[in-house]
Amino acid sequence: MTFRQFAFNQVMRNKRLYMAYFLSSLFTVMVFFTFAIFAFHPAFRDGAVHRYVLFGMSVAGGIIYVFSFFFVLYSMSSFLHSRKREFGLLTVLGASSSQIRRLVFLENILIGFLATVGGIVTGLIFAKAILLIAENVLIIEESLDFYFPTLAIIVTFVSFMILFFCISLFVSFVLRTNKLIHLIKSDKLSKGEPKSSLWLAVLAAFLLLAGYGTALYVKGIQVVHAMVPVIVIVIIGTYLLFTQLSVYIIRRLKSNKNIFWRKTNMLLFSDLSFRMKDNARTFFLVAIISTVAFSAIGSLFGFHSYLTKGVKEANPYSFIYTPLQRTGEKEILEEIKQVDAILQEEHVSAKKETAVFHYFEMAGRHGGVLIAKASDYNRFAALLHKDPVFPKEDEAIIVEQSHVMMYQGKKASEILLENPLRLENGQVLRFNRIIESEVLPEVNGYYIVNDEIFDQLGTPLRSEINAVWQAAGGQKEQVIEAGRKLTEQLPIKTFSIDYALYEINKAYGPILFIGLFIGIVFFVSAGSFLYFRLFTDLDADKEKFRSVAKIGLAFSELKKVVNRQTALLFFAPIAVALVHGAVALTALSRMFDYDLTAESAFVLGSFAVIQIIYFLIVRFFYLKQLKKAVAV
Amino acid sequence: MLQLQNISKVYEGKVPFRALTDINLEVEKGEFVAIMGPSGSGKTTLLNIISTIDSPTTGTVLLDGKNPHQLGKNELARFRRRELGFVFQDFNLLHTLTVEENIVLPLTLDGVRVKEMKERAEKIAERLGISSILKKRTYEISGGQAQRTAIARAIIHGPKLLLADEPTGNLDSKASKDVLEMLVSINKQDKTSVLMVTHDPQAASYSDRVIFIRDGKLHSEIHRGESRQAFFQRIIDMLSLMGGEGRDFSAVRV
Repeated sequence: MTFRQFAFNQVMRNKRLYMAYFLSSLFTVMVFFTFAIFAFHPAFRDGAVHRYVLFGMSVAGGIIYVFSFFFVLYSMSSFLHSRKREFGLLTVLGASSSQIRRLVFLENILIGFLATVGGIVTGLIFAKAILLIAENVLIIEESLDFYFPTLAIIVTFVSFMILFFCISLFVSFVLRTNKLIHLIKSDKLSKGEPKSSLWLAVLAAFLLLAGYGTALYVKGIQVVHAMVPVIVIVIIGTYLLFTQLSVYIIRRLKSNKNIFWRKTNMLLFSDLSFRMKDNARTFFLVAIISTVAFSAIGSLFGFHSYLTKGVKEANPYSFIYTPLQRTGEKEILEEIKQVDAILQEEHVSAKKETAVFHYFEMAGRHGGVLIAKASDYNRFAALLHKDPVFPKEDEAIIVEQSHVMMYQGKKASEILLENPLRLENGQVLRFNRIIESEVLPEVNGYYIVNDEIFDQLGTPLRSEINAVWQAAGGQKEQVIEAGRKLTEQLPIKTFSIDYALYEINKAYGPILFIGLFIGIVFFVSAGSFLYFRLFTDLDADKEKFRSVAKIGLAFSELKKVVNRQTALLFFAPIAVALVHGAVALTALSRMFDYDLTAESAFVLGSFAVIQIIYFLIVRFFYLKQLKKAVAV
Repeated sequence: MLQLQNISKVYEGKVPFRALTDINLEVEKGEFVAIMGPSGSGKTTLLNIISTIDSPTTGTVLLDGKNPHQLGKNELARFRRRELGFVFQDFNLLHTLTVEENIVLPLTLDGVRVKEMKERAEKIAERLGISSILKKRTYEISGGQAQRTAIARAIIHGPKLLLADEPTGNLDSKASKDVLEMLVSINKQDKTSVLMVTHDPQAASYSDRVIFIRDGKLHSEIHRGESRQAFFQRIIDMLSLMGGEGRDFSAVRV
């Protein structure tokens, strides 16, 4: 047996020990590779996708690569930590530290090679699925066919062999040969509880509250200014939360004998504090990484819905024609005809309504304020199946400004309320109702009055003819095609919601896809950190439960302890991350003054569900291992 | 051959603890020495210091006139794999390797040719009666076989000094007897010095000399003269004389 064979045997004969490390490396390679398959797809090279998308993808690839580096480094160092005793034994047998470094290096090169190859193979298997998803999210004209990704394979292979080589070098130098006696007794040594002080614990709570408070208090553009300080404060607060506040709480719980000495609590808490130093670091990392994932995905998702839903709400009709100011009536009628012609050409069947909108003089409003006849409003409303309005002869209904308008200062309704509407006979109209409606294509707020009194309002400042079309359902493609033509031939004046959404999705798709990809990478690696943390302690746990089982611990009780222990590990950091994410998304929604509750709840909820499933799976295997070891 | 001069060991910490005080000890070439003492008396600490696993707070260890604690990292590693052999209570075999691979591990680390390793492993295995299990993995063999494997690993490179920490602690009486007889034969035939820490008076009686330590200090020593049976009796007597009763020497070390 030569030294190289020795290193080889170490890995190949002890697959379980190396499995976690191997799998997480493999996973990283796979993620990078699938991303590469996508990014190097021939369809993108023909210039079908904007340059900035390609740039975005290379940046994203870079982020994934750098993150992989740290992730593999972390996995490896935690893996090496669990093997200290083995290194101690080898030293006793006369291995020099350079030999141990060489052993680690060889092992890593072997694992790295296998992981790279494995990652590429699994990546290839998933390639078609990824391309299909990408095709749907991205709205690309050409379909992303499956291709044999030679370039992606080469890039991935070379990148990761370099990565593993660097990490192997790096770690084998970092691997300090501590005192031999410490190596040999490493499994019995605690790293100790982090020191905790009441002051710092209070500071942790204070920082978090301050951060949250600020994030929730600021509005509009202030959010941008507050972002960096709040992020810094919250990160520090989170760190202190796990290193100080949690230790402090555990101490307090431990000092309370009524709690600490109650049934299995003793086992649970003593272990928690024994591992607190390692745990605190992992918790912090996981919480921050997950927060990044949650916020990134949440804001991308939210922003997407803000863009699309906002546009959709503001433009409830399939097609809208609004003339430019000071366009002659003849020209307008011709252009409306042109729209009709295009719709016919594309075989779009649509219901059409036209109306003349009269704008009246109003102090402080350029271009005047719209005062609409109730009959016009009701005709348009009928098209959308909205309720008609019937203002009395002595009143005017105020319509609030549209949601899409970012509001600064007073709302339109407040301004309109202060502006008295006088008829020619001097009568002032009452304002009894303010309604929110998107029926008329006017975003700045307007009045609706009874048709009878409309003529008494005086001469309008200007009048323009507007037309809307509502296409029947089930002809999406024609509508989009017609929209494209309209936008080409009558830009600005016509607006086709379906085509606009199509364009938004097309531009936004890649960003969403890349963001989702990176977010998921972060989230899954956070999960792997937890997995490593848990399984590093597996042997210690086996030992502990074996000895406790001897003095009489039923398996159900063991299960309870493990349950709580694992649940704490899995949910403490994620819960913190969820709260962080919720606060971040709330702040985001206040920036746009757009309600993101549904989107946040959906994103955070799905992550929570995934985490619960992950927890159940890991717990099952952990318990299985323990059961085998303890045999109670 | 082995000289300990004024060895003291203090464990720093919240409560500093003096594990060894002024130990002076000499072991001749080819001598078989047993170290006995109650739990916590410092036996294992002493062995760890000799084996360079732990370092003394003061005092010097000389092996053939050289102080291994002053060696550089790589020299120390070479020293361990050429001059020393270890046998542990819990065997400490690598479970990733087969019995044979475990045995040749020190030679592997030293970069010996494969053919030579193979020959030496076979020779030693035959001598220790483990030829039939060479291809087995460590979890497929019994405790006695595991300890014999560990002994084979400890002597394959022909060390000057064989250090054994409770080598019979985990074995039944039959396996214990085999292991001890093996140590004696290695000691007598190869002229390898053996230093063994043990609780077991029976095990100690196989040695040439027993050194008793208590609370980190040398207490006394007795030489084997006549028969092993009489030597065993004197060890028992000494143990009771040391103030402990027979039952102080629990079978399991803490």
